[in-house]
Amino acid sequence: MNASSLRRFGQVLLIPILAVFSALLVGAVIMWIFGDDPIAAYRGLWNGAFGSARAWSTTIRKMTPLILTGLSVAVAFKAGLFNIGASGQFIIGTVCSVAVGVNFEGLPAFIHLPLALLAGVAGGVLWGFIPGALKVFTGAHEVIVTIMLNYVASLFAAWTVYAGGTQGQTPGPLWDRTAGAISRTPEVFMSARLPWIFAEPYRIHWGVAIALAVALVMWWVIFKTTLGFSTRTVGANAKAARYAGINVRWITILTMMIAGGLAGLAGAIETLGLNHRFAPEFTGGVGFDGITVALLGQTNPIGVVLSAFLLGALDAGSARMQFDSGVAADIIQVIQALVLAFVAAPMIIRQIYRIRKPGDQVEATVFSSGWGR
Amino acid sequence: MQKKRNLILLTLTLVMALLLSACTVAAPGAAPAAAPQQAPAEAAASVKIGLVTDVGRVNDRSFNQSAWEGVVQAAAALGLKEGDDYKYIETQDSKDYVDNIQQFVDAGFNVIVTVGFALGEATIAAAKENPDIYFIGIDQFQVEELPNLTGLVFHEDQSGFLAGALAAQLSKTGIIAAVLGTDLVPPVVAFGQGYELGAKYINPDIRLISTYHPGEISQAFTDPEWGAATAKQALDQGADVIFGAGGITGNGALQEVAAAPGAGVDVFCIGVDTDQWETLPAAHPCLVSSAMKLITPSVVELITMYGKDGTMTAGNYFGGAGLAPFHDFEDKIPQEVKDKLEEIAAALADGSLTTGYGQ
Repeated sequence: MNASSLRRFGQVLLIPILAVFSALLVGAVIMWIFGDDPIAAYRGLWNGAFGSARAWSTTIRKMTPLILTGLSVAVAFKAGLFNIGASGQFIIGTVCSVAVGVNFEGLPAFIHLPLALLAGVAGGVLWGFIPGALKVFTGAHEVIVTIMLNYVASLFAAWTVYAGGTQGQTPGPLWDRTAGAISRTPEVFMSARLPWIFAEPYRIHWGVAIALAVALVMWWVIFKTTLGFSTRTVGANAKAARYAGINVRWITILTMMIAGGLAGLAGAIETLGLNHRFAPEFTGGVGFDGITVALLGQTNPIGVVLSAFLLGALDAGSARMQFDSGVAADIIQVIQALVLAFVAAPMIIRQIYRIRKPGDQVEATVFSSGWGR
Repeated sequence: MQKKRNLILLTLTLVMALLLSACTVAAPGAAPAAAPQQAPAEAAASVKIGLVTDVGRVNDRSFNQSAWEGVVQAAAALGLKEGDDYKYIETQDSKDYVDNIQQFVDAGFNVIVTVGFALGEATIAAAKENPDIYFIGIDQFQVEELPNLTGLVFHEDQSGFLAGALAAQLSKTGIIAAVLGTDLVPPVVAFGQGYELGAKYINPDIRLISTYHPGEISQAFTDPEWGAATAKQALDQGADVIFGAGGITGNGALQEVAAAPGAGVDVFCIGVDTDQWETLPAAHPCLVSSAMKLITPSVVELITMYGKDGTMTAGNYFGGAGLAPFHDFEDKIPQEVKDKLEEIAAALADGSLTTGYGQ
């Protein structure tokens, strides 16, 4: 790495690092205002995220789905699309993988597990195709459509596990018949579960390896293939892309399908690796966190992995922080929101720290082309 | 000029962001008797009690709070010190149940209370792994008995039945209503069904408008606007007694009835879970009673038994369920209504009357 590329690398990292630093600082001020001890809180946070083998395992467990939902949002950004629907795609991925996982008893694991994972991806792809196609063919903005589809997804998921009322309502198709009045699916068969890398009490499954591998593949696709180049061109300037002979409609739909598939895979992995079933209280919150992860990671797959690690660590440490210092774990959400605010508006960071605007090549990241294109 | 305006805009944005985030954390600051203070370490007591809430706050004026108050009372009786000997963790996400329980296990706590049926599986797993720790699972029915795990459960259908019987006797229009959290959660269904069966027991021709929240579980208990709108609809259709059962959603219904014309004279409301006279003063104008689960005294009882000589109750422990006192309506409720309710309560207790729920 020569000097100029090193400097460029530093500049890319500068804004996210300062954003995180500022968010932690503001978080400390908020705690101080409310009479809590920020130093004790952050010490607890650190110990909960990195203080022991079990803490590390929690961080890794929390990071895994965030990598994939972060990639989902990041990939869409590359084509100038704002995927708010990672949450819904995650839930659909969960339900589809469970549907395969609780059926087909007796299939060997080397067929059952990939099939269940693929089902999750397929569900997510479908949930990404809908907003992509609606945008291309009717002009409906993907932000609105994906938000709406999030509701459809979670209500559909709740229906599939519905225990049935006492007034003779039909129970949902995936409902666990042994659960009495409780709405949930049965556990998926052993043959559909992702095996542990480290079993109890660490509970790290092979999903983390899949997520990291997928991040590498996405980096390669985005930066080293024609498809990735076309996608980035569409994101930078759709008109120019069309003029250059790129099929913008196809790229838009395809990008949303890939984004949906990534979030769907996240849902499948969480289910087959960790939860082993779906119940209505499992939400797609990691889908929304994916937005923060993608922005903090500057929509770069490698950056996404790093920021997923950071947010995973924040989540992992929050229980210990609360336990040690008595600070409500909500402060973590405040800090994450501040991180999002600071990276989404890098001008704020530039103003505070008096950083000159770098050369335009670094600033070329186009997050979203917004409304009224 | 342009640059300066930008700067001002940015500053404003930053300040707004700060204010918004400040609002978010204001809630825990207001927790009653809840903020655990780090007290200086004293001689180690033999009992250390940890409580893991269901998703939500410890001061939710419902489940979490009732359970925590039970812990506080039991701990006070045992002479324990908050922060060192007993504390709570508020759960942020349903995936964190296992980790939150583990915090207490790692820190050497020997009584762990988990609140809500959603924590059932995590609690069972932890109890199997740590046979020396006593677990109390609130609202967690135990199918299989573990020596160190008590499922504290309630006959919600019975207290719902009493609420229904009260409602049917108070109603002049012959129409009563229930505004309920989601039917995805069994105890809510038990309350709702018990209410209907109790009302029909008094008056077989009574008209019931029961509405379950149509949303997913994460919204169903935190949607007071829906609760209020649904209560309003029921009132418009002539219902004059409304049962609000579903966390903050139900509270929205109670507050709507409290603000309606004729509240406390022509229209009444009935709360749920705890004595809501104490927890929801805004409902005072209409709140005749509440269909209760006596969580606090049951938690105190279980912990005290353990604190005395290490007794652990295996399997299920049925806590009390019944109606809350009438408070300001004590004089307005006719004596024959009270007598009838007492008769039903006695019959339910000795088994000569069953609610018919689950049959």
